[in-house]
Amino acid sequence: MQRASVPYFLILPSFLLTAAIILWPLKEIVSLSLHDVNRFGMLKDFIGLEHYRSLFANPDFIAATWRTLFWTAAVVIGTLIVSVPIALILNEDFYGRGIARILIMLPWAISLTMTAIVWRWALNGESGMLNSALRDLGIIDTNIQWLAEASTAFPMQILIGILVSVPFTVTIFLGGLSSVPEDLYEAAATEGAGRWDQFRLITLPLLKPFINIAFVLNTIYVFNSFPIIWATTQGGPANSTDILVTYLYKTAFRMGRLGEAAAVSLIMFAILIVFTILYVRLAMREEKQ
Amino acid sequence: MSKKLKRSLLFWLFLSPIVVVILFPYAVMAISSLKSATEVLNPTWWPEELHWQNFPEMWRTSGIAPALVNSLYVSGMSTALTILVSIPAAYALSRYQFAGRNAFRQFLLISQMLSPIVLVIGLFRLVAGAGMIDSLNVLVIIYTAFNIAFCVWMLQSYFSTIPRDLEEAAWMEGASRTRTLFTVFLPLAVPAMVVTAIFTFINAWNEFVIALTMLRTEGSYTLPIRVFSLVAGRYTVDWHYVMAAAFVASVPVAILFAWLQRYLVRGLSIGAVK
Repeated sequence: MQRASVPYFLILPSFLLTAAIILWPLKEIVSLSLHDVNRFGMLKDFIGLEHYRSLFANPDFIAATWRTLFWTAAVVIGTLIVSVPIALILNEDFYGRGIARILIMLPWAISLTMTAIVWRWALNGESGMLNSALRDLGIIDTNIQWLAEASTAFPMQILIGILVSVPFTVTIFLGGLSSVPEDLYEAAATEGAGRWDQFRLITLPLLKPFINIAFVLNTIYVFNSFPIIWATTQGGPANSTDILVTYLYKTAFRMGRLGEAAAVSLIMFAILIVFTILYVRLAMREEKQ
Repeated sequence: MSKKLKRSLLFWLFLSPIVVVILFPYAVMAISSLKSATEVLNPTWWPEELHWQNFPEMWRTSGIAPALVNSLYVSGMSTALTILVSIPAAYALSRYQFAGRNAFRQFLLISQMLSPIVLVIGLFRLVAGAGMIDSLNVLVIIYTAFNIAFCVWMLQSYFSTIPRDLEEAAWMEGASRTRTLFTVFLPLAVPAMVVTAIFTFINAWNEFVIALTMLRTEGSYTLPIRVFSLVAGRYTVDWHYVMAAAFVASVPVAILFAWLQRYLVRGLSIGAVK
């Protein structure tokens, strides 16, 4: 074997596998989105951008798109805000830290589907334990039908989204905090910097690359997150909690409109790419400064 | 009161709201799984009578045992295959300079952005066209493909922290490149392999949308699909059985995870810096 060919030989299996599972379906989706397709997936006439045009004329799709952007922003920003103080605390030495870490990490180990199904039961109007807990605490006096309308269901879904994203985010931050050298703080303390100054001038700047990583990865995960909404409301009632992924799934596998669903897929992909490019630009500009 | 004790109380006070909210659904799960069929409809905090028989009854009626076996098979195989394919790629990226190296890395990054759900229609067409709906091995291949990027990325950044001198010393002693790889290099990389393996296993164990689409008969269901099918599209739901099933599906992984999470933090901190 030629020495120069060794690395290609080494990356070949992973490349072929990923390419087959990603590029091939992508090609299928592109062709579906440009053709008239019947319920059974048979390609009919080439119709160009007709599917895209009908999507943009569909108020349900437009609403789902805006809701997806709101959902992603709310969950990602909420997660980051909650995770920074938790990571700071878990990085300190205190009694029961091991248990605290395990408790905070718990939702990560449990399937999102299971968590969402349990929440669906806990949010039940008559038999749900959230209502009874809130009644016992005197916060509400009549049962709330949490999942019966979007105005209560969607905030709860965002809350669940934040809770299940915290463990991964805290883990990344803990990794970042463990790389901060102790003597920096000692030096700062001798210079007379208080706790807040230490946080603002040392911790936060050193944590910044990790916040960036957590931001990008969470955005991709949350934008594509399916089980929370599907297992609690399936996007209902009347599509009022649909985000793009649930809209896509319904359009494809409930209504059998494969061409339109393929177009939704590609629009989602385009949004993710635009977002990533914007992000990389920003990150690079910051590095130059 | 010692300083550490005071600090501990303060920290736990801070953490308690989030801990309560995190534990709430799992407490609901555990309590509901022990209530009788009539009492489960009552939102009491403590069952009048602990119905342990829910578990054997659920086990008999819900078909969770085959689903457990399917999930173990799919997750185990995906993990093994992912690691097997990712190690050589990560080694190439960390030890060789070659044309196309950056292109390969960008390709992996893009593959991370295309999540399974975005591709689900195309994947379904391919799998259906090949007549392989309901095949667990198809699931293994798909899960592997979607985990490769993350694994290669993690392994590669860890591999780069292993000093080259060690390998070079072995070459000087006359060991071949392959032999050095297996006796010197890979043993040093075991921690990173363990972390990436846990990641892949948990991802595969919890995956929902691809399994929901590709598995159409009950015999092939994985755990999340099995439990979901006990809830979705049914007029009456036996919530006490559902909660018992969710409990059985969650607890083994949660324990494994609790035991391994310290390695996870350490592994991620190495991987993430690069």
